[in-house]
Amino acid sequence: MQRILYLIQKEFRQILREKMYLGLIFGMPFVQIVVLGLAITTDVKNVPMAIVDYDHSMMSRRMARAFGETESFNYKGHAASSAAARQGMDEGRIQLALVIPQHFERDLKRGRTPTVQAILDGVDGNSAGVALAYANQIALKLQRDWLLQSGADPRALQDMHLVQLETRMWYNPSLQSVNNIVPGIIAVLLMAVTAFLTGMAIVREKEIGTLEQLMVTPIRKGELIIGKVVPMLVIAFLLFNVGILAAGLIFNLWLKGNLFTLYLLAMIFSMSTLGLGILASTVARTQQQAMFIAWFFMVFAMLLSGFFIPIENMPDFIQAITYLNPVRYFMVIIREIYLKGTGLMLLIKEGLALLAFGLIMIITASMRFQKRIS
Amino acid sequence: MIPIQINHLKKAFAGTQAVNDISFAVHQGEIFGLIGPDGAGKTTTIRILVSLLTADAGQVLFKGRAVHKNMAFVRSQIGYMPQRFSLYQDLSVEENMHFFGDLFKVTRYEQKERMQRLFSFSNLEPFRKRRAAALSGGMKQKLALSCMLMHDPEVVVLDEPTYGVDPVSRNEFWNILKMLSEQGTSILVTTAYMDEAELCNRVGLIFKGRLLAHDEPQKLTNHFDHPLYLIDSDQSNKLYDALQQTPFAGDCHLFGEGIHLTDRQKRGMHAVRTILDEQKIDYRSIKPITPDMEDLFLELMQDAKN
Repeated sequence: MQRILYLIQKEFRQILREKMYLGLIFGMPFVQIVVLGLAITTDVKNVPMAIVDYDHSMMSRRMARAFGETESFNYKGHAASSAAARQGMDEGRIQLALVIPQHFERDLKRGRTPTVQAILDGVDGNSAGVALAYANQIALKLQRDWLLQSGADPRALQDMHLVQLETRMWYNPSLQSVNNIVPGIIAVLLMAVTAFLTGMAIVREKEIGTLEQLMVTPIRKGELIIGKVVPMLVIAFLLFNVGILAAGLIFNLWLKGNLFTLYLLAMIFSMSTLGLGILASTVARTQQQAMFIAWFFMVFAMLLSGFFIPIENMPDFIQAITYLNPVRYFMVIIREIYLKGTGLMLLIKEGLALLAFGLIMIITASMRFQKRIS
Repeated sequence: MIPIQINHLKKAFAGTQAVNDISFAVHQGEIFGLIGPDGAGKTTTIRILVSLLTADAGQVLFKGRAVHKNMAFVRSQIGYMPQRFSLYQDLSVEENMHFFGDLFKVTRYEQKERMQRLFSFSNLEPFRKRRAAALSGGMKQKLALSCMLMHDPEVVVLDEPTYGVDPVSRNEFWNILKMLSEQGTSILVTTAYMDEAELCNRVGLIFKGRLLAHDEPQKLTNHFDHPLYLIDSDQSNKLYDALQQTPFAGDCHLFGEGIHLTDRQKRGMHAVRTILDEQKIDYRSIKPITPDMEDLFLELMQDAKN
């Protein structure tokens, strides 16, 4: 027991002596949250667009103005013809072209249904879809306004039963992807630190030969693992808090739920990643190898966690695989607690899954970790 | 009780016989040197002894107990300094020593005393606050030695402790080992440097997993029962090449001062000269010399190959 304390004391001496280490631990969360929080965005803003107006009527001009007013689109002006619009798209100047046909106003007033054509650059399918939805919304709104102003018989209007969809987004009312991404980054940071640093801390001793020396001392395997893991847990815990603080200070995104519930579940989650780190260290001979092994698994774990690709969008068999990914559960947990303030009782399923994975990882890693040379 | 006893030890890695039927013992208070080139099986033998590897066959006894059944005993009693061991670079001399003392649960009071004693012969006292990374190669080795002596082991095992260390520091290091052995510590040390053999009480010559011979250095060189000549020349390399065409091919070796020629058939110096002259080989002088450990090793190696 005492030996664990000596080992922990030694680890902290080494960590505190490495100024770069400290900078990394406390600077990294801030940088990551700022850069990734702003960069990984699924919001569609400022889509460059042009309008091809074959009608030149009051109504077609109003439509153009409506598109120019919204933040979602960046109205670049008129294009002379469909061909000109296409050229603009080919050259990458615009991503959306709206073609208003001739006699648009006249047809509208006569009660026919004129068709406005939207041409989209579909290279980035995701943004194109969102842009189209925005365009539809604007068109729908214009339609409603016109109907009211059209002077049509109010009773007739009532009979028309126009569908009115009123959307209310809960938990993330402004639908900002930052709110979704930032808790994800905190989760990924926790994973990176625990898996990377643990693996490297052990392999470094292997590299310089001190592990071989440590093996030929009375220290037990369990003591050695605990002595190595505890300092990393402390660092991960600090970093986790720095991440929470950074999210709050930079994006004004504060935890809605209970901090201690999050701590508890983060701790359970860390068992899996620490286990991964130890496992990597048993296989690797050099720090680079350990890093590569941990990185390899982490990329998969991250991509299949729902961090930025929704799991529901994945093919069924990949979705099935994600159930084997501990990060998937923690991603749900941290977002639930962050955005909805969900309590522990409602997260018990995810918590138990994490506990199971954690135990499996730690036990496997401890078994693989030998006080011998293979 | 014999500190270290190894009987018919065997160990193979993926088909290569790293250690092949090795037997020797290290007695109390002696320095036993295991000498051989890289890949001879020194490190494997040592690692089996300190319980880091398991043997395929044979018996390894530490203080009379079988190592593989008494791992905890071995690990708490033995002092082990692994090959190319370089300590915690970011910890100071003092911190490194305390850490190893702590691991063996040596009280701080005892540690203080022991450190003073270790400083008295390692001369590291002025550097006690300095980080290990900032020490010279020789000082690092002395620190590593000090660390493993913090728990005052009666038996110490060092794997190539002087590898890559300058001659002055090597000399100093061996003086410390000598002092330890005089105080009763039993020492098993490996090295690839033949000149260090004379510093051991007994040596074992190891090559390709086999122990070719083991005895006191003087007795071993006395075993060398062929005449040995030193042939001097301006161009030793050329002379060496020329000698490959004579009956002495395989019995001559290039040394710094010239060529050592083993007269296996005991022809006598005159006969050797005649042969060299017949072959029109150019050299400056030839004279008989007394063989040293390296000559013996080269001869035993040659025997092992034949």
